[in-house]
Amino acid sequence: MAAGSLKWFVAAGVAALLSACGGGTGGAPAAPTETALSAQASLGEQIFKDVSLSASDRQSCATCHSADTGHAGPNDLPAQFGGALLDQPGRRSSPSIRYLASNTAFHFDSEGTPTGGFFWDGRATSLQDQAGRPFLAANEMANPDLADVIAKLSRAAYAAQFREVFGADIFSRPDDAFARMTLALQQFQREDLRLRAFTSKYDEFLRGKASLSEQELRGLALFNRADKGNCAACHPSAKASDGSHPLFTDFSYDNLGVPRNPALAHNADPAVFDLGLCAREGGDMAARTDLCGAFKVPSLRNVALRKVFFHNGRFKTLKDTLTFYVQRDTNPEKWYPLNPDGSVNKFDDLPAAYKANVNTSEAPYNRGPGDVPALSDAEIDDVIAFLATLTDAVR
Amino acid sequence: MNRRLHLSTPLRRTALAASLLLAATCSHAQTATEAELARKLDQLAAELASVKAQLQQMQQQRAASPQVTQAAPAAPIAAAAPAPVATSRAEPATVLSSYGEIIYNRPTRHSEMAQADVRRFVLGFQHRFDAKTKLVTELEVEHAVTSSSDPGEVAIEQAYVEHQLAPTWAARAGLFLMPVGLLNENHEPTAFYGVERNFVETAIIPTTWREGGLQIVGSFDNGLTLQTGISTGFDLTKWDASASDGRESPLGSIHQELALAKARDLAVFGALNWRGIPGLQVGGSLFSGGASHGQAGASARVTLWDLHTRWTPGRWDLSALYSRGSISNTAALNAPLVGSATLIPQSFDGWYAQAAYKLWTHEDYVLSPFLRYEQFNTARSFADLGPGLTPGAGATERAVTLGANFQVSPGIVIKADLQNFRENKDANRVNLGLGWSF
Amino acid sequence: MRLVLATSAIALAPASAFAVDYLSAEQAAKLMFPEAERFESHDVSLDAAQMQKLDAAGVRARSARWPVRVAQRGASTLGYVVVDEVVGKFELITYAVGIGLDGAVKQVEVLSYRESHGHEIRLPAWRRQFVGKTAASPLHIGDDIANISGATLSCSHVTDGVKRIVAVVDLARRSGALP
Repeated sequence: MAAGSLKWFVAAGVAALLSACGGGTGGAPAAPTETALSAQASLGEQIFKDVSLSASDRQSCATCHSADTGHAGPNDLPAQFGGALLDQPGRRSSPSIRYLASNTAFHFDSEGTPTGGFFWDGRATSLQDQAGRPFLAANEMANPDLADVIAKLSRAAYAAQFREVFGADIFSRPDDAFARMTLALQQFQREDLRLRAFTSKYDEFLRGKASLSEQELRGLALFNRADKGNCAACHPSAKASDGSHPLFTDFSYDNLGVPRNPALAHNADPAVFDLGLCAREGGDMAARTDLCGAFKVPSLRNVALRKVFFHNGRFKTLKDTLTFYVQRDTNPEKWYPLNPDGSVNKFDDLPAAYKANVNTSEAPYNRGPGDVPALSDAEIDDVIAFLATLTDAVR
Repeated sequence: MNRRLHLSTPLRRTALAASLLLAATCSHAQTATEAELARKLDQLAAELASVKAQLQQMQQQRAASPQVTQAAPAAPIAAAAPAPVATSRAEPATVLSSYGEIIYNRPTRHSEMAQADVRRFVLGFQHRFDAKTKLVTELEVEHAVTSSSDPGEVAIEQAYVEHQLAPTWAARAGLFLMPVGLLNENHEPTAFYGVERNFVETAIIPTTWREGGLQIVGSFDNGLTLQTGISTGFDLTKWDASASDGRESPLGSIHQELALAKARDLAVFGALNWRGIPGLQVGGSLFSGGASHGQAGASARVTLWDLHTRWTPGRWDLSALYSRGSISNTAALNAPLVGSATLIPQSFDGWYAQAAYKLWTHEDYVLSPFLRYEQFNTARSFADLGPGLTPGAGATERAVTLGANFQVSPGIVIKADLQNFRENKDANRVNLGLGWSF
Repeated sequence: MRLVLATSAIALAPASAFAVDYLSAEQAAKLMFPEAERFESHDVSLDAAQMQKLDAAGVRARSARWPVRVAQRGASTLGYVVVDEVVGKFELITYAVGIGLDGAVKQVEVLSYRESHGHEIRLPAWRRQFVGKTAASPLHIGDDIANISGATLSCSHVTDGVKRIVAVVDLARRSGALP
């Protein structure tokens, strides 16, 4: 069939291009397999790695979504820099884009819980929608407009392939070309096995082919126990009844009262607050002030590879992050600055009006100053050992 | 002595019709033509002749019957000799049946949890295709209103075809009730004492338990009934470790009810009941089937068996039952669920003893007080997962139920009882119920 | 009550011989009175007063007409056989009651049984309970007749039927309607 031979041609072409450019980050060279990418997806892969599509000529999707860290931020900066000179600071950390194929557009479920959506505040409705926005964001790839992006695309090494797949005249219709470009990126994210590998030790354990060490098993128990970590309440760890492996997120939102991160540029102004869901672009959630300060629950798969945690990159190690979870309320002075009168300015990254939105009812947030934290230091280490089993095997 | 010969009903009807027709004909004599009159007279004559012939035939039949040679011995089964059979109706017929329960529960320590419910409303029909084959179905609506935002449920409880293979053997195929315990096959509100079904037969034996498959029923002359077959089973991938359903009834939380049921692993079952002495029943059952269907990390098997007896001497109605279930390979199934609220138990069991007495009867009214003592444990043991990870065995609950059934009419019963628990005292409650069955 | 949606007239043609029809009425009558030479059909017709008497005694007469087979040898009467049908739970149960000259039940036979449960009522052990019962006996499940567990309706309906037949035959004999 013509499509089949095209696939092989494209795969061969991609391999040649990759070896020629020597660009793009990590991963073993893609060996042709039975599950080779479709034409659209292989284009998407090339677009994903193409730094020429940015104003700086040095930034591609892969730059901020690095395979080494589970397709999340490549370093321990709280937010990446973008713009034409790569000097424009970002506002939030780069989330991992793995395991998003089953996520839906933002909606309220049957119980009224906000669910779904792409980005930390769920403002994009699909992978395709999300893929297009960084191209035009001033502090990211900073292209002036859509037509500019397409002009750059038409000069890319794979432009001929693009024409072949989407039509010879596609570049004369920039709006259509942009839609096709983001479609290709979506298709790549859906098909690429590295973005949905399920090859972690935990996956093998669920398949009955591997066993967890004693410490890892203890960590899993603490993760699941409602009276200890209670992590599984938002990061489900059990297989679904249809046999599908857990994604360690329920795609809902939560307000944890994460401490303000002074390392973020926009936080220099004490009047500026990143309010998450209620303040998102488009203003559709402006009336829901009860959701101010809520951000998406990310997947914990490959969390051990990440270099920063939470939407504002406030913590850089899992140890600090987990200690914050269980000691936020028992030892608030460890995490928040003091007021002039000596009291702790708890939830300092929220204006006073919205501090009540923070989750203080579910374990482990339901303790008070002086209480014993839900997890001891050794137990945190156990949980970290378990979380390390969620790292996909390198392919 | 009088010896009046009466016409049987069909003949009487024909005679009446004939006379009416004659009368009608006479009243229109002025308008009908002579030819029409003659035609009608002929018609009447023909009918009368046929009636006479039928009468003669029947008289002959009656006269001929005592001359049939002596054949059958005093055993209930007829010999294979072809003989005119009883005039039992073997033609197809559709029979509607129904039962239902309306229940009021009021916890004595938490009256704010009181609730009233149309617990179930069941419509069934049985359709007989021929003398040997019938279809039995039952449709159930629970909790009155069913919709995505209402608590009700609509379910098919039974849908099977029964075919009589021989006088002793019948076969059933389809969705049928499992022959387990005393309540599962006889679960109408008029068939048990107490507003709610007993705990052993809801938490351990998941009444109303039905599976799809093939069942052979043997009814022997010594009073033994054998039921055995192959059926679908349970689905362990349905186990929800974060919910409490599995702690309330392990098998109830993983039953499939033939609703897009996973069927790679089938089960076998057998039940034997003896009712040789009138008023006494002794029996038991065994069920065993895989429940992983190749989809869980490990393959596991669910086994359930029970022993039961019921004795009704005079006005007493005494019964007792013990049942035990077990699941294999739960250590492997529980490993990914460690720390969760409800892990899969390795074994669960329960027993009860019940006594009822027909205290007062007047025409159709019957008052039967009763007392039931039950003990059950839905998590008798867990497989070892390692130190600190293996859940402790569940507490054995003890329930005492004291109350009475009041039959208003055969098929209508009013019930009231008081239930007391040893472990979960918050559940102590008063129950009232109305039930019907026909 | 049973709602029968479709039924047709009594079939005169013989149905399957072995299915669930165990005995014919004639075979049952012969079993009960082996010495009888012939069975004569008498139809007992109860008048209003007799029906009321039955009701007062706690028996629902159900119908005024009762066909009775009188077992006779020579000129003497040996006893009576009444064939009747009652509903079990869904299906009809055909049974025959043999009554001696003293008005006591001689034998009960189940002619056809089609219900899925309760076939044990056909066993001699259960039917034997009726032998010797008269119109004065309670003839009541849970009283002098034991139940079959799981077949309460079949048992009570057949027991009611036997009670009814015993009462009707008793009335008919007293009023001289039967030889």
